Amino acid sequence: MSAPIPPPFEIPDIVTYAVPGFVLLILIEMVYVRVTHKGHYQALDSAASLSMGLGNQVAGLLFGGFAIGVFFWLSQFRLFDLGWTWPVMVACFFAEDLAYYWFHRIAHERRWFWASHVIHHTSQHYNLTTALRQTWTGVLGLNFIFWLPLVYIGFPPTMVLMFQAISLVYQFWIHTELIDRMGPIEWVMNTPSHHRVHHAINAKYLDANYAGVLIIWDRLFGTFVPEDANEKPRYGVISQLGTFNPFRVAFHEWAGIFRDVRVANSFGEVLGYMFGPPGWSPDGSRKTSASIKAAWRAQLPRPFTGEVS
Amino acid sequence: MMTETDWIVLAGSAAVVLFMIGVAALLGFRQTTRLDEADLARLAAGEGARIDAAIIDTEGKGAVARLADGNLLIARVMADGVSARVAPAGALGLSLERDGLRVSFADLGFAPLKLKLAGDAPDWVRRLADGGQT
Repeated sequence: MSAPIPPPFEIPDIVTYAVPGFVLLILIEMVYVRVTHKGHYQALDSAASLSMGLGNQVAGLLFGGFAIGVFFWLSQFRLFDLGWTWPVMVACFFAEDLAYYWFHRIAHERRWFWASHVIHHTSQHYNLTTALRQTWTGVLGLNFIFWLPLVYIGFPPTMVLMFQAISLVYQFWIHTELIDRMGPIEWVMNTPSHHRVHHAINAKYLDANYAGVLIIWDRLFGTFVPEDANEKPRYGVISQLGTFNPFRVAFHEWAGIFRDVRVANSFGEVLGYMFGPPGWSPDGSRKTSASIKAAWRAQLPRPFTGEVS
Repeated sequence: MMTETDWIVLAGSAAVVLFMIGVAALLGFRQTTRLDEADLARLAAGEGARIDAAIIDTEGKGAVARLADGNLLIARVMADGVSARVAPAGALGLSLERDGLRVSFADLGFAPLKLKLAGDAPDWVRRLADGGQT
C-alpha cells in the first residue's frame, strides 16, 4: 500500500509547546504549597523528577525516531485507508486512549514493561513535578508496540502520534494534591483524584485507574477504584527506592531483571522473572500486588450474611 | 543524530530544570527528617513485625533493626521521608568500617547505606558483619 496520507494541516510539536505551561503551573503549585501548606514539595525529590524528565527528553531524541520509523513502516501494510477526516480523528482519539489504557495496565502487570514504567512511580511525593518523572527506556523496552494495532488498522501514524502527545499533555495536570474531587466530570474524565489512587501504594488502591484521558476504560474493565476520603494515599512503590540518583532510578528494575535471570534455574523461571508480575518469584516468597491485595482483603471484616453459626 | 536545534532545546530544558530546583530550594522545600526509635517501631509494625534490637545513625539518617522473626529492617531517610525495607540478613552486605556500618543491597534502587555509630557496634551487628546470622 502507498505511503500514509499526510495531515491536511501542520501539526505543531504539542509537547514542546506545552512545556512553558508545565513550568508555569509547577511554579504556581510550589508557591501555593508554600503559602497554604496544602500539598507537599521537597527540593531533592523534585530535582530527581525533573532530571528524569530531562533524561526522558534525551532518550526521546536518541531513540524516539525508531518507534516513529516502525509506525511508518507498518503503515504500508494497513488494512484500511482511514485518512484525515473528523470522524476518523474522533475514533482515533478513543482508540489511542484505549491503547494507552492497555499499555498502562500491562506496564503494571508485567515486569518487562514495569521496568520502564516504575520510574514514574518512584517518588514518595505527588505533585506536578512527579508528572515529569518519566522513563528513559520506554522505546528500548518496546512500549510503542501497544499502539501498532491502530496503525495497522489504518489510522495515519501522524494522527496516532498527535493523540499520544495530547494524552501526555493532558496527564500532566492530574498529578496534584491541590485539586479535590471534581463531581460529574469524574464519571468520564481521568482526574487528580483518580490518578492519586493510581499512584498510591495502599493495598486498597493497588492496580487501579490506569486511564490516560478517559476513566471510562477503568470502569469498563473493572479496574476503577474511587478515592476514599478516609484513606489518604501513600505514594511510591511497594519496595521504596533508597536513592535520588537519576541513573539508579532509571535502571534499577532492569538491573533487577538481569540479576534474577542470571540465577534462574529453568527457561520457565527466566520467563517468569521477565514477563511475570512485578515481584514474581518461583517460590512465591516475594510480594506482588495481587498477594498484597489478597492479604488486605483477607483481613477485612466479613459482611454480615444473616447467618449465625 | 542530534541536530543543533536539539542541543539548544536540551540546553534550554536543563537551564529550566536548574531554575525550578533553585526555586524549590528558595521556597524552603529543604525539609529533612531524623529517624528515632519510635519511627523504627512504627515502620516495623507496618510490616507486621516487632523490633528486638536496633542501631540508629548518630544523625538519624538511617537505621538497622533486628526483627523478632530474624529479618532485618533497613531504614534510610530520604529528605523528608523514609525508605524502609525488610530483608533476611543473607540478602544484605554488612561491613563494619572505621567510621561506622555500611549496608548494601543487591538492588540498584537502594544505594549503600552508611551509619555513623555513637560507640562500638553491638555484638549482633558484629556477628552479622562477620557473616553470621542474627
